[in-house]
Amino acid sequence: MKCKITMYPNEVAIIKLYGELDHHEVEKVRSQISSTILQGDLKTLIWNLEYLQFMDSAGVGLILGRMRELHAVSGRTIILNPSPTMEKIFRFSGLAAYMMHGGEEIAISQARGIVNG
Amino acid sequence: MDNEMILSFLAKSENESLARLAVTSFIAHLDPTIEELAECKTIVSEAVSNAIIHGYDGAYGMVTVHAILDGEVLSVSIKDEGRGIPDIESAREPLFTTKGHLERSGMGFTIMESFSDEFTIESHIGHGTTITFTKKFSPIQAIAM
Ligand SMILES: Nc1ncnc2c1ncn2[C@@H]1O[C@H](COP(=O)(O)OP(=O)(O)OP(=O)(O)O)[C@@H](O)[C@H]1O
Ligand SMILES: [Mg+2]
Repeated sequence: MKCKITMYPNEVAIIKLYGELDHHEVEKVRSQISSTILQGDLKTLIWNLEYLQFMDSAGVGLILGRMRELHAVSGRTIILNPSPTMEKIFRFSGLAAYMMHGGEEIAISQARGIVNG
Repeated sequence: MDNEMILSFLAKSENESLARLAVTSFIAHLDPTIEELAECKTIVSEAVSNAIIHGYDGAYGMVTVHAILDGEVLSVSIKDEGRGIPDIESAREPLFTTKGHLERSGMGFTIMESFSDEFTIESHIGHGTTITFTKKFSPIQAIAM
C-alpha cells in the first residue's frame, strides 16, 4: 500500500492510493491523511482510486472518517475513478453522490466550482 | 467435487491479504472476469477481517478458510472460534457496527450478501462464527462463444 498526497492551490488535496486497501493497510495511511486535513485550509479532498487494486469496507471507513474531519473545516469530498466493484461498495454505503470519473484536472475544477459556490 | 483447499492462520491483520491471495489463486483457472474476482476477494476480505476484529478482538486464535470448487461454483466457509455474534439479525443490517470508534462502517455483511449468490451466518456465543458463501463464475470463453 502506497499513498501519495499532492496539494493544489485553492485548498485542494489529491490522495492517490496504490495497491490494496484493507483493515491492515488502512492503519498505516490514516494518520498521514488526517494530518493533511487538519494542518491548514483544506476545502476539498479528492480520492483518486485509479491505481488502487483492491478495497473493502475498511476503505469506506477511512473515507467516512476523513469526511467527518473535513466537515469540521467545512470541506468536501470527491471519490475519483473507483473500479466497478468499488463503485458498488460506495453505492451500498450511501456515497454514490460523491463519485466521479475523469482526469484529475476535471475533479480539481469541479472542486473549485463547489468551493466557490 | 473438483478441488478443495483448507487454509488456517493466526488472527493477525497481515494475514488478510494471504487469505485473499489463496482464494484468488484457487479459482484462477476458471478465468473469472475482473469483477467476479474482485467481488470474491472482497467477500473473503470482509469475513476474515470480521473474524480478526470482532471474533478475536486482539486475542490469539485461528481463522480457517475452507474452499470447495464444484464445476463453476465456488463455496467458501470462513470460521473463527471467537466470541460469537449475540444478535445476527441486527448484525446483518446495513451500517450496524459495534466498533464505530475504530472507523468500521457496518457495511461488511451487506457487501458479502450482495456479492455472493448464497450467504449464511452461523454463530454461537463463546464458540465462534462461521460464514459460508457460494459464487458461480461464468468463464470468459463461454461468454465470448
Ligand atoms: N466473526 C465475528 N465475530 C463476532 N462478531 C462479529 C463477527 N462478524 C461480525 N460481527 C458483528 O457484526 C457486526 C456487523 O459486521 P459488519 O462486517 O457488517 O460491520 P463491521 O465489521 O462492524 O464494519 P465494516 O465491515 O464495514 O468495517 C460487527 O460490528 C460485529 O458486532
Ligand atoms: Mg466487517
